[in-house]
Order: sequence, then C-alpha cells, then structure tokens
Amino acid sequence: MQRDLREERWHGLGVSEGYVVGRVLRIDNHSRQVYRASLDEVETSRELDRFQQALQDAREQLLAIKGKADHEMGPEHGYLFDAHLLMLDDPNLRGRVQDYIVREKANAEWALRVVTDDLLAVYSRVKDEYLRARGSDIEDVAQRILSALTGNKPQYANLTRDAVIVSADLSPSAVAELDLQHARAITTDAGGWTSHTAIIARALGLPAVVGLRDLYSRTRTGDTIIVNSYAGEVILHPTTATLEDFEKQFAQKDQACRVSPAERGNEPLRTMDGVEITLCANVELPAEFDSVRKFGASGIGLYRSEFLLSREGVLLSEDEQYKAYVEVANVASPDGATIRLFDLGGEKLHPGVGTERNPALGLRAIRFGLRNEEVLRTQVRAILRAAAHGRLNIVLPMVSDLADVRRARAIIDDERSRLAREGRELGEVRVGAMIEVPSAVVLARSIAREVDFFSLGTNDLVQYMLAVDRGNDEVSDWFRSLHPSVLQSVVDVHQAAASAAISTVVCGEMASTPAYAVVLIGLGATHLSMTPSSIPRVARVTSAVKFAEAEAIARMCLTCATPDEVEQTVREPFLTHWPQLFSAHSLPVAKHSDQPPLLETPN
Amino acid sequence: MIEKRVTVTNRLGLHARAAARLVHMANQFQSVIRLERIDDRLGADAKSILSVLMLAAACGTELSAKAEGADETEAIEALAEIFSNGFGEAERD
Repeated sequence: MQRDLREERWHGLGVSEGYVVGRVLRIDNHSRQVYRASLDEVETSRELDRFQQALQDAREQLLAIKGKADHEMGPEHGYLFDAHLLMLDDPNLRGRVQDYIVREKANAEWALRVVTDDLLAVYSRVKDEYLRARGSDIEDVAQRILSALTGNKPQYANLTRDAVIVSADLSPSAVAELDLQHARAITTDAGGWTSHTAIIARALGLPAVVGLRDLYSRTRTGDTIIVNSYAGEVILHPTTATLEDFEKQFAQKDQACRVSPAERGNEPLRTMDGVEITLCANVELPAEFDSVRKFGASGIGLYRSEFLLSREGVLLSEDEQYKAYVEVANVASPDGATIRLFDLGGEKLHPGVGTERNPALGLRAIRFGLRNEEVLRTQVRAILRAAAHGRLNIVLPMVSDLADVRRARAIIDDERSRLAREGRELGEVRVGAMIEVPSAVVLARSIAREVDFFSLGTNDLVQYMLAVDRGNDEVSDWFRSLHPSVLQSVVDVHQAAASAAISTVVCGEMASTPAYAVVLIGLGATHLSMTPSSIPRVARVTSAVKFAEAEAIARMCLTCATPDEVEQTVREPFLTHWPQLFSAHSLPVAKHSDQPPLLETPN
Repeated sequence: MIEKRVTVTNRLGLHARAAARLVHMANQFQSVIRLERIDDRLGADAKSILSVLMLAAACGTELSAKAEGADETEAIEALAEIFSNGFGEAERD
C-alpha cells in the first residue's frame, strides 16, 4: 500500500537545545502482549525455575548496561541501574510474582504483568512528578524480565550517522544501550523536562523534543524528519520547500557550521575588527569527547576530572588514571587539555565520614588534595606520565593564595623528579590556578607571578563573591552573573595575568551564553571555555561583533552600581548595534522588571 | 527496637539513586528496618526499593526510622548517617 507522505507537524516540549534534519530510527520499547496460561503442579514448579533464570539473565544484562552507562554517561546515570538491579530482587516484585505463580497456577509472564500493573497503579497516584516518572523504571525492569522469559535479547540496530531516535517512551536502559555517539536527536511521545531521556540528552548535547503524543505510531524507520527543539517542533516528511526554508532559517539564525575551524580555513576566530578569540570546551563525560571536534573547539579548556571518581569510595589507580588522561590528551590534540585536579571534598571518597556543616567552604578541591597527599600525588603522576603523549596542563582548583600554589607545585615538582629517577616517560606540564575565591582575585597579581596561567571559574566566583548558594532557590534573585563586582573581578584578573605575561581562560558556563560572552570579550577575555554544543553559537556572535564596541559597552557596565543597571546597560546597545544577532528575548533583563526572562543555555 | 527521627536533606529527595543507596545500606544489616513518614504515617520497608520510592519523600520530609534485630543499634546509626550527609550527593559545577 502506498503510504501517504504528506508533511505533518507535531508540537511538544523541547528539553535539550538544537535542530537537526535526519532519518527516523524507531526504537520499540519492546513492550509485548502477555497471555494467561493455567499450569499444573509440576509445571508450576518449573515456572518458578524459569522465572528465576529470567531474573538471572536480566541481572547480567543490567550489569553490562550499568558498566556502559558508567563509562559513557557518568555515575549519576549509571547509578540508576543500581536501582533497577535492586528492583529485580525486591520482595515487592520478585516475592509477589512467585506467590502469584504458585497461588494462581499462572505462567510467569502473566504473574509478572499483574504484579507490575498493581505497582504502577500505586505509583501513578504519587503526587511528586519526579517519583511518578519512576513508574517508567518499574515498567522498564518488567519488560526486561519479560524479554528474558521469552529468551529474546533486546536488539538495537546500529545507528546510521543521521539517525533521529523516535520512540513512544524511551526507557532508561534503552537509552543506555543505544550507540548515542551516532544519534543526532531524540524524540519521544511521552516524557517531560525531568524524564531520563531529557536529562541524558542535555548531558550529551543532543537536541530532544518530548511529549509528542502519537508521533511514534506515525513513523517508519528511514522517514525524513526535522527536529527543532527551540520551537518544540517535529516535522515528518518535510516537503522540499520546508527543508529549504528550514535550512535558510537556520543558516541565518545560526551560521554555526560556517564558523567551525575547518570552514574558516583553519584561520583563527576573530572579531570583526581583528581581535583573536579562542573558544575551547568544558568536558566531563567520555560521551562528550566526540563533541569537542564536532563543534570545533580549540582543545579542552577545562576537564573536570571528578568523573574518574565515579564509584563511591574507589580511587582509580595511577595506571587507570593515566589511561584516562592519555585519552583526554588525544581528544584535545593538537591544542591540548587543561585538567582540573579533583574538585571535591572527602565525602566522595569516604561517604558518610566527617560530614561538614558547610561543604562549599570546607575541605575540598586543592585543600582536600593537600590534606590527602596520596590522592594528589597519584593524580599528578598519572597526568605527568600522560603528558608524554599530548599537551596537558594542570589547574589547581579553589586556590586561596600563594601558599596553596607553592605547596601544590612542590608536590608536582617532587613527583616529576621521582618519575624521572624511575626512568618513566613524562611530558612538560604547565601549572595554573583556578581563580574563583575572592581572596585569589584580590591577590591575583602575586599569584600570577608563580603560575603559568589562570583559569577564571565564573560559576564558583559568582557564588563566593556574592556569598550566594547557587543551589538554593530562595536566594536565586541574588545570584547575578552580571554583578558589577564580578565584572570588575574579570577585569582585575585579566590585568594581573597580563602584567605577568600569562594567559587567562574564562571557563564558567557564563561564557556559553552569547550575550554574556560578548560582555566578557569586552572586559578583556580572549580565551573562553564552555559546553561544546554552545561553541558554534558563541563563535557566530564573536565573528560578527567589533571588539571596540564590546569594550565600550563593557566600560559602561563597570560604572554601574547594581546588576539591574548592568543588565539594562547591556540590553539597549546590543539591540541597536546588533539587531541581527540578538532578539530582545535573548538578552539579559533586569530581574525586577516585567520584561521576558533571559534565555539561558540549559546547562 | 530502636527508633530515631531522620530528615531528608538532599535537594532531590529520596529519588532513584538516593533510594538505591539507602536500600544497599539497609541490606547490610540483619535487623528489620522500617521508615515511616511523620506527616501521614505512610510506612516502607527500607530493604525494598519499590517500597522506599513509594514514600515520595521530598527534601525536608521527616521520617521515623525503626530497626529491630541483633544489629539494630548499628543499623540505626548507619541510617542516620546516610540521611544526614544527603546520600553523599555533593553539589557540583
């Protein structure tokens, strides 16, 4: 039968930014019909064995998925499968299924369906949205056991390069099993902002639209599809006119692809009046490695090494860390990567031990490393060795003053000579300081004389400068990236670095919002590091503005007394100078005005 | 039997990851361990993740933890500890 290939549009919720034209890959959530069979005594006991075996198979599959998820997406996501593993053995599931098989002389599939539906009915009444969504985890586990009972292993096609995943409701384990390196976008009929699909899509920088109701049933694998998460829109079977329209619209709106280094002919990125700007990537998960090249980053400006401490209480050995850093160096080649030493407190390594009343001001980052020298030394040795295979820098997190720098450098030098004596291969490593504590801003000139570079961490700087906990919604009105004190600090730190002839990389998420990036450039920043998927947008804006104009705006901002004044000061000239780049809703607004809220990158 | 009042202190509440950690811990003890919401007396078996999730305990929820068995003292201590450190979930950049 000829299919009707009329263009159709769906509207849902864009939960991860981006737009893509690709081909549908339908992912069946392998939910299957279940029938009731009546068993005799002998069959009942055989059925219990069969159920037992299915649990065992499901357990093995989940352990494999968990390993993959830990590696690719990080322990926050991998940990979810610990919850799935516990559900397999939960007395409320396993015990009740076994009881039902015996009592009703029913087959395992039927018993499992009945018990699962019971549990789901209870969950659907929970008020909390996040926990209600966990019903999908129970269904996921149930489907896995059902597959195991029928002896089927879930199979996923190898993804083609332009695959757009279309699913009714993508289960967490299906997401983890997919070869997401090759996926271009994700859509699901169900789901909301807090669904697992949304969380993972954002972590991986994949565009995603959810809540599309019946899209799945209307597609076939291979159909052409447009996903535009900015508008929360999905277009199936787009006409040639629509495709052209779409491409034109985004070529204008986002010349992203044209400002990649390859398309610039490997010319450096410059403002219109010729000031060279370097954009590099903030990276944490191995799954983000591909995006470093894909989005045209000049190396990795910030590698958050905490990922390596994924498993609770387990510190990776020197050799394991060495392998990880060699991989990071390769990914970032030829520009190199800056590895931030573990930025965490003791709770990560010794859960439950010595809980601090105020961890943000506690024994964390370089303080923790100096107190636990073995942890610091192991990491330093691994980095020094890995540097033999590519350019690596070390940055010391949460430095307060030169005392921290000198102690850390002494340890680094000590390990360097020890490795040399042992005859190990090692590379040159530059050592920099994270400037994120107010005391380090004030003392930046003296610190600059004893380090090789600065990394300006704006997230923590704003938090510490303004004494505002950024995780606390009650004080979110006081968390202002465009605070005059923050802007003045950016200037001071850059001038201190310049006076010692060292470089500064601004590596907070502030740099990933184009309007903020322009302000940072106006304040003197030339190196910005950000979420890889933001690089094309920031590059486009950078190449279309004049440094002189950005500087003039930044100067006016520095005379402001309040963040509201700064935001107003930024807003007006941006709209007059660059109406083609910034629409009113993409610019900061004073928090206490009635204007629409700033469109921030969802990081 | 020992009883102790605990409060959910991590921002996301007793969600899948925190609940998994709690159940893992509870399973290390022989004692029967139960949690009960102070506000509506809804109870849960701390060794069953499905049951713990059903508490739908958001940040700030107060619970009464009860343990009964040979290692009840240790169990309650470990339980109080894991609640007070917010299930080891440090805020990160």
